[in-house]
Amino acid sequence: MDSNKKYWKGLEELNKTPEFVEKNKHEFAEPIPIEEVLSGGGLMGKTPRRDFLKALGFGVGAVTLAACQKVPVHKSIPYLIKPEEVTPGIANYYSSTYDGSAILVKTREGRPIKVEGNPNDLLSKGGLSAQAQASVLELYDTSRIKDPQMNNSDSSWAAIDAFVKNELAAIAASGKTISIVTSTIHSPSSLAVIADFIVKYPAAKHVQYDAVSYTGIIKANQNSFGKAVLPHYNFDKADVIVSFAADFLGTWISGEEFTRQYVSNRNNKSLEEKKMSRHIQFESGMSLTGTNADVRIAIKPSEEGLALVNLYNAVSGTTLPGSKKLTTANADKAIMLVAAELKAAKGKALVVCGSNDVATQVLVNAINSLLGSYGNTIDLDNPSRQYAGNDGAIVEFIAQAKNGQVGAAIFLDANPVYDYHAAAAVKDALKNVRLKVSLSDHADETTALCNVVAPNHHYLESWGDDSSVEGYYTIMQPTINPVNNTRQAEQSLLVWSDNPVKDYYTYVRNNWNNSLLAKGGLSGQAGWEILLQTGFVLTAPVAAGSYSFNYDLNAVAQTVLSQSTKLAEGNKVELQVYQNTAMRDGKKANNPWLQELPDPVSKVTWDNFAAMSPSDIKKMGLEEFEVVKIEANGYTVELPVLSQPGQAPGTVSVAVGYGRTAAGLVGNNVGKNAYPFLSFRNGTFQTAAAATVTATGDIFPLSQTQTHHSFEGRNVIREATFTEYKKDAAAGSGKEGEEEKMFDLWENTNEDHIHARPVYDWVMAIDLNACTGCGACVVACSAENNIPVVGKDEVGRRREMHWIRIDRYYSFSQNGEAKVDGRSGMVTQEKEIAKLDDFSNVTVVHQPMLCQHCDHAPCETVCPVLATVHSSEGLNQMAYNRCVGTRYCANNCPYKVRRFNWFNYWNDSRFDNYLNNEHTQLVLNPDVTTRFRGVMEKCSMCVQRIQAGKLQAKMEKRPLRDGEIKVACQQTCSANAIVFGNRNDKNSEVYKALQSERTYYVLEELNVKPGIGYQVKVRNTGTESLA
Amino acid sequence: MRNISLIFKQFSRSVLLIAGLVVVGLTAHAQADAAKGEAIFKAKCTACHKIDTRMTGPALGPQLTEETDDAYLTKWIQNNQALIAAKNPKAVKIYNEYNQAGMTVFAELSDADVGNVITYVRTEWKKMQADKAKAPAGGSAAAEDKGPSSLVIWGLLGVIVIAFVVILVLNKVIATLERLLLNKQGLLPEEEETEEKAKTDRLAVAKKLLKNKKLVFFIVLCGVVGLGSFSWITMWNTNVHQGYQPVQPIKYSHQLHAGAMKIECQYCHTSAFKGKNAGIPSLNICMNCHKSVKTESPEIHKIYDALGYDPNTAKYDSTKAKPIQWVRIHNLPDLAYFNHSQHVKVGAIKCQTCHGQIQEMKEVYQYSPLTMKWCIQCHKRTEVNGKGNAYYDSILAAHDKIKKGEKVTAAVLGGIECAKCHY
Repeated sequence: MDSNKKYWKGLEELNKTPEFVEKNKHEFAEPIPIEEVLSGGGLMGKTPRRDFLKALGFGVGAVTLAACQKVPVHKSIPYLIKPEEVTPGIANYYSSTYDGSAILVKTREGRPIKVEGNPNDLLSKGGLSAQAQASVLELYDTSRIKDPQMNNSDSSWAAIDAFVKNELAAIAASGKTISIVTSTIHSPSSLAVIADFIVKYPAAKHVQYDAVSYTGIIKANQNSFGKAVLPHYNFDKADVIVSFAADFLGTWISGEEFTRQYVSNRNNKSLEEKKMSRHIQFESGMSLTGTNADVRIAIKPSEEGLALVNLYNAVSGTTLPGSKKLTTANADKAIMLVAAELKAAKGKALVVCGSNDVATQVLVNAINSLLGSYGNTIDLDNPSRQYAGNDGAIVEFIAQAKNGQVGAAIFLDANPVYDYHAAAAVKDALKNVRLKVSLSDHADETTALCNVVAPNHHYLESWGDDSSVEGYYTIMQPTINPVNNTRQAEQSLLVWSDNPVKDYYTYVRNNWNNSLLAKGGLSGQAGWEILLQTGFVLTAPVAAGSYSFNYDLNAVAQTVLSQSTKLAEGNKVELQVYQNTAMRDGKKANNPWLQELPDPVSKVTWDNFAAMSPSDIKKMGLEEFEVVKIEANGYTVELPVLSQPGQAPGTVSVAVGYGRTAAGLVGNNVGKNAYPFLSFRNGTFQTAAAATVTATGDIFPLSQTQTHHSFEGRNVIREATFTEYKKDAAAGSGKEGEEEKMFDLWENTNEDHIHARPVYDWVMAIDLNACTGCGACVVACSAENNIPVVGKDEVGRRREMHWIRIDRYYSFSQNGEAKVDGRSGMVTQEKEIAKLDDFSNVTVVHQPMLCQHCDHAPCETVCPVLATVHSSEGLNQMAYNRCVGTRYCANNCPYKVRRFNWFNYWNDSRFDNYLNNEHTQLVLNPDVTTRFRGVMEKCSMCVQRIQAGKLQAKMEKRPLRDGEIKVACQQTCSANAIVFGNRNDKNSEVYKALQSERTYYVLEELNVKPGIGYQVKVRNTGTESLA
Repeated sequence: MRNISLIFKQFSRSVLLIAGLVVVGLTAHAQADAAKGEAIFKAKCTACHKIDTRMTGPALGPQLTEETDDAYLTKWIQNNQALIAAKNPKAVKIYNEYNQAGMTVFAELSDADVGNVITYVRTEWKKMQADKAKAPAGGSAAAEDKGPSSLVIWGLLGVIVIAFVVILVLNKVIATLERLLLNKQGLLPEEEETEEKAKTDRLAVAKKLLKNKKLVFFIVLCGVVGLGSFSWITMWNTNVHQGYQPVQPIKYSHQLHAGAMKIECQYCHTSAFKGKNAGIPSLNICMNCHKSVKTESPEIHKIYDALGYDPNTAKYDSTKAKPIQWVRIHNLPDLAYFNHSQHVKVGAIKCQTCHGQIQEMKEVYQYSPLTMKWCIQCHKRTEVNGKGNAYYDSILAAHDKIKKGEKVTAAVLGGIECAKCHY
C-alpha cells in the first residue's frame, strides 16, 4: 500500500504559485537566450549578425593565437631535506581537538586539508559538526590578521611585549582591574595560564561569558542542588524526551553528542529490537530538533513558562499558585498527555528546556527530579564544561569599565562589541579603559577598538588541550607551522605575566606530566607519545548520584508566570531570538562553507530573516520576502519575512550570528544583527521579547534552496508510525501488496550481461529515521570534493553546487479527523489541504539526496559524448574532460542531483570573496580535480577514497574489509544515517541495511534501479493523538 | 794496456751491475712499501679520509707533510684514544678541532703497516701536487683543442658562400658575353620578341594544364590529402611531448648512477613503492654519498650550494639554502590520476616499461607518449599480477566464473573505466 500523504518542500510548491510552476518547468531556472538571438530582429536584435560574426572571428583568431603559445615549463621542487614522516602523495593524520571533541586532521605535504572525527571520541564517536568540518578553511582565510598591531599599525612582538608589560605594571600599581574577557574556556592548560596570570597580577580578573548563554541552567542547578554546573545529559537513556525549545540536536550545548545518543534509540538497530524513544517538542520557531520530533507543538515564548508550570502540576499532582490553563486548547491537552507519558517512563524520562531563565530552569529541574532523571538521564557528577559563561560577569565588567575601574581589558575569543546586546554601552565603556588588548586572529568588531592586537594562532597551528566533559581530556597539537606572524594567545599571556615557563608547549607538557597523563594511566615521554596518537585521556566516570530537589517553587512559579504575562501583554508579536544550525553564534561568519550551507529548516543561505507563520503573513497582507521592521527592546531591524510552516502564530523568530560588520571579506554585512534584541533580566540574558512588526513594502529576495530541484509532486518520501511498524516492519515502504511487473529497456540483467558487477557493487543505505538533517555531510562533501562556493546571487539563480543536499519535506500532521484507507488521520486530498489553515501543525522529513548511481541511469543514455558512463563497480562515472556541457543529463535526471559549472569558480574574479585566491586554494584536496566552466559534476561516491582503499588493501596483500572505505558524508555523520559499502559482500553492513524491511528506493517505479536505498521514516506518534 | 782496459771494463761493468741491482732492489723495496700502504689505506682509511680534501677526518696529504714525527703518527694511528687520554697536546688539539669525534682505533696495524700507509700517502700527495702544477698547461691545451672545431665549421660555411658568389659572378659574366655576342650578330631586337613569346608560351602551358581536369583534380586531391594528414598528425600530437628532454639545473646522469653504479631506483625515488608520486629525491639522499664522493665536481657543488653546505667545515647553513628547481619531464595532466605504487608495487611493472632504458640515459627524456591511448593499450594487454596477493583471490575467482579462460587483464578488472583515473 502506497501512502498518498502529500509532501511539499515549500509553500510555493504547496500552493503552486505561478512563479514556482514557471521556474520548475525547466531544469535550469534561467533559460539561455538562444532563441532570442536566432529569431530576434536580425540587425536590430540584441546581438546583430555582424557583431556575432565579428565576435566569432575574433574568438577563432584569439583561440588560435592562444593555442600557439609554448607549452609551459613545469618546475619540480623537491624538499632540500625531506622530513621523515612526509611522503609526497600520502596523507598524514594527526590527532587534535576541536572544541572539546577529539579529531583527526588530514594533512598532505604538510598542509591540513580535512578534519575528521576521532572514532573513539567520547562525544560523537567519529561524527563531526558542520562547523568542525568547515574549520579547516579558516586556516587559509585571507582575512586573518597577519602581524601584531599597535594603535592600528603593524608592529613587532618585542615592541608589543614591552609596551603591554609596562602598561600592565602601571595599571597594577594604580590599583585598577585587569580583566581577561573570554568566552568559555574548557582547556585545563589555558585556564592554568590565566590562573598564573592572576597570581602575577592580583588585580586581574577572568570574565567568562558566552554570546549564547547557558547561565540559566548553571544557576538553576546551583539553586536546586547546590552544584553550579552544566549537567551532562544522556539522551540515549531516555525513552521519553520532552523538549521546550531546546534545539538539542543542533545548537544546544553539545549537538553532535546528543544526536548520536538520540539516534541510538531510533535507528534501524533499535527499531529491529522494537524499541523507539518518543520525543515531544514544544517550541515557537521551527528548530532542527523540532523537525525531528514525533510530535511538535507550536507554542508562543510566553506560553513556555506556563506550560512548564502546568507540566509540573500534572507530574507532581499539586498545583502551584497562579497556575492557569494555556490559551491553546491543543497545547493544554498535550501537556496533560505528556505528563502521563513522562510519569509512565519514570527514570527513563528527560525534560530539557532551551530557556536561559533561571526560574524556568529551576522548574525544569523540579520536574526532572520528580521523574527520577538525576542519576539516569541527567548526570550532575560528570558535568559538561562546554559552557561556563556567567552573564552577570560581563554586565559587571561593562559597568566597571564605564566607571573607569578597569585599567586593562584583554579579549580572547570574545567579541562583545558585536554579540553583547548593548554594543553601544560596550563601546562607551571601552573608551575609559587604558589598555585594550585583542587576542583575536580576525580584525573583528572588538579588535577594531583595541590599541594592541596580538593575533592568536588558528587552532590547527596551536598546542593545547581541552576538556569538554569532566574526566575527558583531549590534546591539541599543531599540524602546520604558523602561516602568519601570529602567536598563541596563551603564549602571549605567559610572556606578559613573566611566567617561568617560557613557551606554551612546555607549559602544556608540564601540565600533562604533572596531573593529566596520570589520569589515563600514562607517564613520561612514552605516555606523551601515546597521548599524541590516541588524542585523549578518559578517566572512569564518577557514578552519577541522584539528587533531591530542594528549592521553594512557589516563588519560582510566581517569577515564571509574571514574566509570561509581561511578554504576552499589549497584544504584541512575541519575538524569539535563536541560533541557527549553520551560523550559530556568528563567530564563524567569515566561513563561506557555512554561509552557503542551507539552514536545515528554512533552507535559506547567506542571510537571516524574520520567520513568521503563514497565517500571520496572510493576516498582515505581507508578500514573501517583504522587508518588515521589527522593533523590540528599543532596537529596530529591517529583515525580509519568511513564511515558516510550524511557526507559532503571533511569533516571529530571528537568528543571531548575522549582521557582522568586521568579520572579513565573506561575512561582512550578511544579514542583520539580532543580538541587540536580547535583554538582561533576572541575572541572565533573555532571548524572548515583545515586538512590533510593521511592513515596509520593500522586497529583499532570499536565496532559498528549498524548492530548487523539485520532484514535481512525485512520491519520494515513505513514512510509517511506530505502531504500524511494530505490526508490519515493511509498513510504509511500498512493499506491501503485489509486486508490479517491471519492464526493462535492457534485455536482461543477469550475470552474463554487461551490467554484471563481478566484484564490487558500491551502494549506500540511508536511514531516514536516523538523519536529523543537520547538514554536516554537505560541508564534509564540499571539503572532500573541492566543491566551489557560489555566493548568494548564484544560489538565488538555483546554481548551488553541493553534491549532496538535504531535502526537507513538510506534510500536515495527523489531526485525528480524516481517516483515509483505515489509517489514522492523514490529510491527503488536495481540497482538504486547501481548507486547512493550520500551518503551525506540520511534520517534517529530511531526506539526503545525492547521485543515486542508478544501474539504468537516465543521464547516461542521453549524453552525446559518453562523458557519463557506468563502471563495473556500480558507479555512475563522470569524466569532466569529456563533458561538453549540453546539460542533457541534468534534464534527464529524475533526482535532480547534477550540477553545472556556470563559471570557472576557482579562477574568476567575481568569486574572489569566497575561495578564489592562491592561499585559500591550499585547502583543496589534491586527489580531486577542480572542475572547469561548462562541465557537469555530481556525487562520485568519493571514488578517490574507493580507489585509495583498494590500493591500500592490494599493497597489504589482503582482501578489502567492509567498512574500511568510508565516504565523506558517512564519516562525518554523528547519527550514522549513511552506510556505504559493497552490496556483493553478503556480510557487509550495507547489504544488511538494504535487506531491512524498511528499505525502499526513491522513484523505484521508474525502474532506473538506484544504488541508494532509503529506510522508511518511522514516527512514534504514540497511542493517543497529542496535537 | 789492452788488458788493463779490459779489466777496468769488466770491473766497471760488475760495479754498475751491482749498483744497478742495489738500486733496483732498493726501488723495489720502496714500491712494495707504497703498494702495501695503498692496500691498507683503501681498506681502512677511505671511509673517513681523503688525501687531498677534508672528509670526516682531515685531508691526509697536507697533514702528513706538516707532521713529520712518524713515531707520533704511528702511535696516533694505532691508538689515538690512548694519546688523547694521555693528554698529548697535539692529539688533544686535533681531537677538539674535529668536534671530539674520536678516530677508530687500529691496534691491529703493525708499525711497518703504518709506515707503509704513511709512505703511500706522502708519495701520492707529492704526485698530486706535481699533477696540479702541470694541470694549467693541460687545461689551456684542451681549450685550444676546442678552438679549431668551430673555426672549421665557419671556414666551410665561408667556402660555400664564396663558391656561391663565384658561381653567380661567372653566370653574370657568361650572360654579358652572350649579350655582347648577340649584339655583334645584330640579333638583339628579336630577343625581346622571343622572350615575350616564351612568356605567352609558358602561360599557354599552364592554361593547357589547367584545362586538364584530371590533373587539376589530382593536384587538389594531393593537396587535400597532404594538408589533411599534416594537420591530423599535428593535432593528434598536440600536447604529446614524447622525447621531451629539457636541460636540468644539475647534470645528473642516470646512466652513471643507475647504469654503471647499479643503484636501485628505489634508493632515490623512495616513494615510488609507497604512493602516488615517485618523488624527486631530496638532497639529503644525494648527500648520503656525495658528502665524500666526487666532492670536487662543480655539479656536486651545486648540491652543496643549494643546501648551504660547506665541504671544508662539513657544516650546514640553512639560511643559505635554496631549493633546486628541476624541470619536470613527465607532465601528466591534472585531470588524470596516476599512482606509482599501484603499478610498481602491486603490478610489479619495471620502471623501464614506461620510462625506457633509464639506466642508459645521460639526460632523461620522455620515453613514452603518456597519452590515454598508450595507457589503455597497456591496460588491455597486461595480465593482472595477482599471484600471492590475497586481495586478488576472490576477484580472480569471480572473473573466472564469468569469463572462463579469458586472460584477466587490467582492463577486464575495469582498468579502462573513466573513474579509475579521472576524478
